[in-house]
Amino acid sequence: MKHQAIAWLLAALITLPLAGSLFQLPIQVSDSLEAIVISTKYATASQLLEDSLRFSPTTFRPLRYLQTRWLLDATGAADLTYNAVFRGVHVLLLVLLVVLFVLAVRVRGQTDLAAFAVALPILIGIHTFVAMLQEAFPVNHYAEVGVCVLAVLVLAQRPPRWFFAPLICLLLALALSVIESGAMVWVMVICCAAAGLRGITRTTVATTTALLAGYFVLRHALDIASPGIGGHGSGFGATFYSSEELAQRFGAHPLGLIAYNVAGGLASLLLSEPRQGVYSLAIAWRDGVVHPILAINLVSSLVTTALLVWYGVRHLRAGRASWSDRNRLFVAASGVMVVNAVLTAAYIKDEIISPGGLCYAVAAFIACASLLETLPRRALVASVAIAALLTLDAALWTFRAAGVHYVLRYAAFKTRNDWVEVLREDKRTDWPQDPRELAVTQRIRDEALVRRVASPSFMPRWADRYWVE
Amino acid sequence: MVPCVVLAVLGAWWTVAGLWPADDVTLSEAVATRNNAEALRLIRLGTNPNEPFRVRAGLLTSDYEVTVTPVEAAVGAQRADALRMLLANGATIDGNEMRVLRCYEQVRRDSGIRELLGESRAPDCDGVRLPVDRAAR
Repeated sequence: MKHQAIAWLLAALITLPLAGSLFQLPIQVSDSLEAIVISTKYATASQLLEDSLRFSPTTFRPLRYLQTRWLLDATGAADLTYNAVFRGVHVLLLVLLVVLFVLAVRVRGQTDLAAFAVALPILIGIHTFVAMLQEAFPVNHYAEVGVCVLAVLVLAQRPPRWFFAPLICLLLALALSVIESGAMVWVMVICCAAAGLRGITRTTVATTTALLAGYFVLRHALDIASPGIGGHGSGFGATFYSSEELAQRFGAHPLGLIAYNVAGGLASLLLSEPRQGVYSLAIAWRDGVVHPILAINLVSSLVTTALLVWYGVRHLRAGRASWSDRNRLFVAASGVMVVNAVLTAAYIKDEIISPGGLCYAVAAFIACASLLETLPRRALVASVAIAALLTLDAALWTFRAAGVHYVLRYAAFKTRNDWVEVLREDKRTDWPQDPRELAVTQRIRDEALVRRVASPSFMPRWADRYWVE
Repeated sequence: MVPCVVLAVLGAWWTVAGLWPADDVTLSEAVATRNNAEALRLIRLGTNPNEPFRVRAGLLTSDYEVTVTPVEAAVGAQRADALRMLLANGATIDGNEMRVLRCYEQVRRDSGIRELLGESRAPDCDGVRLPVDRAAR
């Protein structure tokens, strides 16, 4: 109990300032303003829901606009600023992610606590986490999916209860209705069931599978296609290609790129390389310059991934029947990582593999705890070497986690400046003609401009090289 | 445990004391540091975009502070977007100032700035003191 309390304390102390940095991000212009404007234009929420089903030929995200509408209504009802409400929800999702992570790993003793002290910085420091934090449509759908995925993992470890199946169906429905990555909730259900975690029953598997099938039928009925090659820009080797360039280069023979992307998605989770499909290593090789951030990310990920491999080889050979609860949790988390990489088939984005990033931290916790348990049985020299390696790894991940503040502050500075380009005085002819659209745009812009944020010019000069890619 | 505990302690400190609070800057400093949003906020609060303001050392010059107008800061920082924003929000450039700015652009070359300042011919900069030369050291 004492160790668990310390774990909660560590999590709280690290998350609190992170929430502060996240709250400083103004509402984004890209991806957010348009959705907010559209949501204000409709007289009723039901009309908005009906029309939003056909807003895009490749995406089915009915709750995207509806959630925005609810938050706009809440803003009016509570007499708060748009920033306070939208960023407040964003912060709430961050807190939920950390809370669910702590619940998922279940710290039970001194060894677990030490492993937790390694895994928590991994959770926050992995590149997929900060990428996820920066998203907003204007609600952070990737974080919503992350919360749902971790919630399933938490439930899966408990003895089955009658309400688990409907609750997990609800989580899946929520996740699927905000973004396609929501399918990862179903993947988590299947991985937990395959690993033999007791909270996932056949009923849960059957109902969630039926729900997912219904989702695809609905998409088909609405004639919504999946984005293919060229739907989004992505990298190949040392170069990032625009969507048009990708379609031109790989559109006729996409299999090679698909294989590259899937392998790259998994490599990105395990080695922090590539990023958005681009290998910084290849760039470093070409230019003869290795930036410190590349070395830090690569070494920290390599050590942690080696730990996962060690755990897998050592504990999973015996077969499913003899697996412990921790073994099963490890298998479920690893399975999600692998399947998550498949979602990057058309293009690689750090946000897409963010559920895998959460699972990476869970798997790292289990492997680290297991390795620490072996220390008393090892020779002194080996124990010291392992402890030193783990401390180095923890230090590197902690450094990466601290960098999230810098990245968020930098993003806040950029986002606030983006608003200067909206409703420009010298381009009044471009201003919206619709009075409601103009009013809401003006209000969000005013809110963003009055929120003072730190300028990178007054932050540490070295930070760019160590924390920004 | 140690790195994580250090981060937690730092986290507690950052929560109480605040991590990287927004700096108080003059309008010219905001422009010099690419902070167009802060510059616009200051103008909307009533700051005159045609007045000279102090810019601390290290922003436009390496080792001494200068006093320049926001428009001069935009030229010095090679920020065409900032110059355009200033001109759209009340900044003006008279004939003499235009010559100084065009000469300054010759030192801090930027095609976007050049375009905004008009004239494509190289200016006659004989006897022109650049804004950063006027500094009181």
